[in-house]
Amino acid sequence: MTNMNLYSRNDKMFVYLNMFLVGVFTLSTLYPFIYIAALSFSSGFEARAGNVVLTPVDATIAAYKQVLSEPAFWRSYLNTFIYTIGGTLMSLAFIIPGAYALSRPQLYGRRFWNLMVAFTMWFNAGLIPFFLNMRDLGLLDSYFGIIIGFAVNGFNVILMRNFFEGVPSSFEEAARMDGANEFQVLWKVYMPLAKPAIATIALFCIVSRWNGFFWAMVLLQDQEKVPLQVYLRHTIAKLSDDQEFSVTLIDAPYSVETVTAAIIVCSIIPVLLVYPFLQKYFNKGIMLGGVKE
Amino acid sequence: MTGVNLESITKRYGAVQVVHSIDLEVQSQEFVVLVGPSGCGKSTTLRMIAGLEEISDGKLTIDDRVMNRTAPKDRDVAMVFQNYALYPHLNVSENIAFGLRIRRESKEAIASSVDEVAGILGLTDYLERRPADLSGGQRQRVAMGRAIVRRPKVFLFDEPLSNLDAKLRTQMRAEIKRLHKRLGVTSIYVTHDQVEAMTLADRIVVMNDGRIEQSGTPMELFVNPVNTFVAGFLGSPPMNQVQAVLAKGANGPQALVGGTVIDLPKLDALQNDEGRKLVLGIRPEYVTIATKGDKNQVPLEIDLVETLGSEALLHALLDGVPFVIKSETIGQISKLDAVTGFTIDPDLIRVFDGETGDALPGQDRAV
Repeated sequence: MTNMNLYSRNDKMFVYLNMFLVGVFTLSTLYPFIYIAALSFSSGFEARAGNVVLTPVDATIAAYKQVLSEPAFWRSYLNTFIYTIGGTLMSLAFIIPGAYALSRPQLYGRRFWNLMVAFTMWFNAGLIPFFLNMRDLGLLDSYFGIIIGFAVNGFNVILMRNFFEGVPSSFEEAARMDGANEFQVLWKVYMPLAKPAIATIALFCIVSRWNGFFWAMVLLQDQEKVPLQVYLRHTIAKLSDDQEFSVTLIDAPYSVETVTAAIIVCSIIPVLLVYPFLQKYFNKGIMLGGVKE
Repeated sequence: MTGVNLESITKRYGAVQVVHSIDLEVQSQEFVVLVGPSGCGKSTTLRMIAGLEEISDGKLTIDDRVMNRTAPKDRDVAMVFQNYALYPHLNVSENIAFGLRIRRESKEAIASSVDEVAGILGLTDYLERRPADLSGGQRQRVAMGRAIVRRPKVFLFDEPLSNLDAKLRTQMRAEIKRLHKRLGVTSIYVTHDQVEAMTLADRIVVMNDGRIEQSGTPMELFVNPVNTFVAGFLGSPPMNQVQAVLAKGANGPQALVGGTVIDLPKLDALQNDEGRKLVLGIRPEYVTIATKGDKNQVPLEIDLVETLGSEALLHALLDGVPFVIKSETIGQISKLDAVTGFTIDPDLIRVFDGETGDALPGQDRAV
């Protein structure tokens, strides 16, 4: 860190204010995680009584036992993996070549195609036309429908295109002189250089797919195919409506709140595990040294 | 071996023409340097030869094959870029081998070629390093290694040394020269640095505003520049160019520079047309300094003396016009501050037409 002694009084005040604001923001972001985790490990009675604030009260893993014993949970968990991995790979398979093409100055009608992609960022057909379209294509209630239906996102394409445009053209020219064709230029030169951008977009896709709820609820009727988020909603609704469950609750070691919290914890763990593996690409300037600026 | 031939090569970007119908024949194994100021079209010309720019008009042949519509990879040329263009995700060995891998050569052949090239360029100890871990000179060597490993028919260099510091540039210049001697591959080299051009070239092509001003050996261009542009471009410091008016003297033609009289060479073109406007081209190293009392001196006002070691640059005013003299320092350093003028053999003055800037005929000297 820069030596604070060299800062003027006003600069120091500014730094301290920034540190305070960042601290508040960090806590406000972190607290819901801590609260949900604490709730999931608390007893049903204490959770319902609202006694959980920061740490588990009357600690128990009963809620997890309840959640993990449900076959439907595991089924939805698997479905979410399928949608996330399949969807992310499908997205990258479309976004990378699409963005590369849009970044090439020699693309015929380049401005028009770029405008078309950007247009989808501001306007879309809306819920009903999209649903009817999916129905007519026979993509309702299918894994493939969820995976392909949301594969291309205009924002991600533009993000990737901007990255490709920032790569010095001499890399492409050098590769062409070395004998590379268009595909080899993309595969062997641009994609390795674009690892940070690809990692960013992959993370966007992973998080978006993992948390995908609305469209899965609309397009999937078959409970065998629903992802975790839809299962979570069903579970909350089912447990809340279950009179017997509510009555037995006083003695039960778990409650609607703790079970819900346990499912949430289970659902966020994979995303938290993925992030550190992708994070290294965000800060690393992989282009360093290749060209003399 | 391979020659490169440009016939009426033209480049247009929309309505803007940047290369105007140039003709150039590069002989097999020749080292040709395209030199000129920024924006003169030299890099565009090189990129058209490489296939990185389309040729708007004209015919390009390499090894007697028309290449206008041939993809860069099929022209069998290699290029060294100004900014190195090394693949940052690959190490030195992989960078050098990239072209061979693309061409699906065998692993053994690739390894042997990379080793050989690394040996030639002194990169053997750096093969596992990434470009980011190399110095500027090492990166430039890798860029050259990537070019020579394919054994192309033609090497193209696009200002390859301009990102290096002065010392390294001198060193790499010598290495490029040695490499060309050793490999004997036809080379076309673009630079705006006239020192690089003079030292490296078998033949220099001076370009200006999309046209070739003059083409010839370095000494031909240095001694017999065809116009004031070439005269001002080659040489360090460049040739002094002094506006003058032709006059008739008792012993032959003379030039009047304000109130100063300078004897001119006895050219046929200077026998008549008294009052004709001229430009006198006087190389700073061709004049002899004179001090008070020396006869037939052209008077100067010395403004500044820059001592460079074995030689010095004297910045002076000749009748109010800036004039530079290059003088040896050994044995005459004490005289430099007392210089009052110079003398010059009239035959060493290059005379240009004052209107067109073209050299007058009949004054070329043997080199």
